[in-house]
Amino acid sequence: MRAERIVARGFRNLRDLDLELPPSGAVFLGPNGHGKTNLLELLYYPVLYRSLRGARDVDVTCHGEAGFELALTLRAERTPRELAAGFRCAGKRKRLTQDGVEPERLSDAIGHWLAVAFLPTDLHLVQGPASERRQYLDRVLSLADRAYLRALSAYRRALAQRNSALRQRRPDLAGAWNPMLARFGAELVRRRMGWIADHAESFTATCVALGELAEVTLRYRGDGALADEAAWPEAFARAANRDEALGATGTGPHRDDVDIRLGGRPLREVGSTGQHRTAAVALRLCERETLAAASGTEPALLLDDVFAELDAGRQERLAAALQQGAAHQTFITAPREDELPVDFHLETLQVENGRVGDARHPQAV
Amino acid sequence: MGAIDDLVAELARLPGIGHKTAQRLTFHLLQQPRERAERLAATLGAVATRVHPCPECGTFTEDARCTVCDDPRRDATLLCVVEEASAVPVVERATGFRGRYLVLGGRLSPLEGVGPEQLRMALLRRRVASGEVREVILATNPSLEGEATATYIHQLLDGTGVKVTRLARGLPVGGDLEYIDGVTLSHALDARQEVP
Ligand SMILES: [Zn+2]
Repeated sequence: MRAERIVARGFRNLRDLDLELPPSGAVFLGPNGHGKTNLLELLYYPVLYRSLRGARDVDVTCHGEAGFELALTLRAERTPRELAAGFRCAGKRKRLTQDGVEPERLSDAIGHWLAVAFLPTDLHLVQGPASERRQYLDRVLSLADRAYLRALSAYRRALAQRNSALRQRRPDLAGAWNPMLARFGAELVRRRMGWIADHAESFTATCVALGELAEVTLRYRGDGALADEAAWPEAFARAANRDEALGATGTGPHRDDVDIRLGGRPLREVGSTGQHRTAAVALRLCERETLAAASGTEPALLLDDVFAELDAGRQERLAAALQQGAAHQTFITAPREDELPVDFHLETLQVENGRVGDARHPQAV
Repeated sequence: MGAIDDLVAELARLPGIGHKTAQRLTFHLLQQPRERAERLAATLGAVATRVHPCPECGTFTEDARCTVCDDPRRDATLLCVVEEASAVPVVERATGFRGRYLVLGGRLSPLEGVGPEQLRMALLRRRVASGEVREVILATNPSLEGEATATYIHQLLDGTGVKVTRLARGLPVGGDLEYIDGVTLSHALDARQEVP
């Protein structure tokens, strides 16, 4: 999967950008704070139509601008070819178009441009709260399968309605959402468990390939019985008193987690930062594998300063893993070229004050 | 605010009409002969004063009761529950349904502050308690809220001895009864299932 061109206005500090994207990708060089990471955020935006850093659209908008616009052009043979998004701060209105046509729902808009981003904050995948890992699963599975995204939106909506009824102390009203939660919740648990079963082995092997000596394992943590819709009524009945007291639903995949262990013990408690980073990178490589398998094409790779905190051995193994696979487009940020562990044979582009040019003419746009 | 701004603001409050469309409609009206605008105003006034919900089913009528409730040939043992009055003519046109209706006036949505008290649940209970009704057909929209409303009514009528059925699945989830073609709707009504 390759993109040819990206145009943006008012996106972060990228006030007015029109950039041809080399077929194999590029290395974005430049001092910190000049817009390298913003470029990756921009390239990722048409994947989920939101910021990969979890920022709100108003915060993505360049300071002082009324909104932002962007358009990504894919290679000629793809349909749709142009993915565009526009956001107005006034009224917080977002408009998406694909070859000029507005998709009916968000689930129709996504899946046309796939990318996997490797970020310094990926460490939270291992060290952070369960919500980080749920978000990871939801993102990977939503991008791989629209049915998952539809089930996820329906589940979230039903959950919000049920919790609202519980807060209003209306258990009779809350119960009206039980069948919907059961139907869509069971689907989420089933698909998440299926994904872990399919990828646990590859995750462990990837950690080894990245230089991990002890065994790192991946398991789903949650009530596996809830993969069956028929198990839900009893689970709701058991939790009824607690749910009413808390004013929130305590049962379901919105409470589940992914258990990552090193030599049988929780990785986040026993591992070093280097080991945590290895596991986080391995999760991103699993994401790449999943999206490639689901779409039949390699997603683009967006690497934000990922080598900085790794030791030399891990750097080289990661670089080797990233270069594997069918032809794909890779975009890498680094403060300086000599901070990359190997030569990626990519064009080098200089980023300064939100402008991008080739290394010799940094101000040429 | 002047009269033009007032009209734009009023029109923009209607569903599906944004500020721009409201402006276009306002200027369109202003360019028409004056009688056109006066006739529209009179019609709106008449609707507001003469039309009211039928006390027995909630559908709109100008009379003491609506034509369906007033028709002795309609089967009073069958009660079709819909969210909005606008669904009644849709079911009437598309299907051969000969029973009666109950218009809830919306669907349950705690997030938007809509509970059973905001809908015609009490009227529904009275109609069922009268003993005439043998089957309640839940024809709420196949949306999350429509499904939840159907579930709620099913629980509400539990123990009354009345048979509760739901329009057959096969209706697109996330849809709206008014936008479903007549053949599909007619088929869904014929193939309605008992709520488990
Ligand atoms: Zn009536």
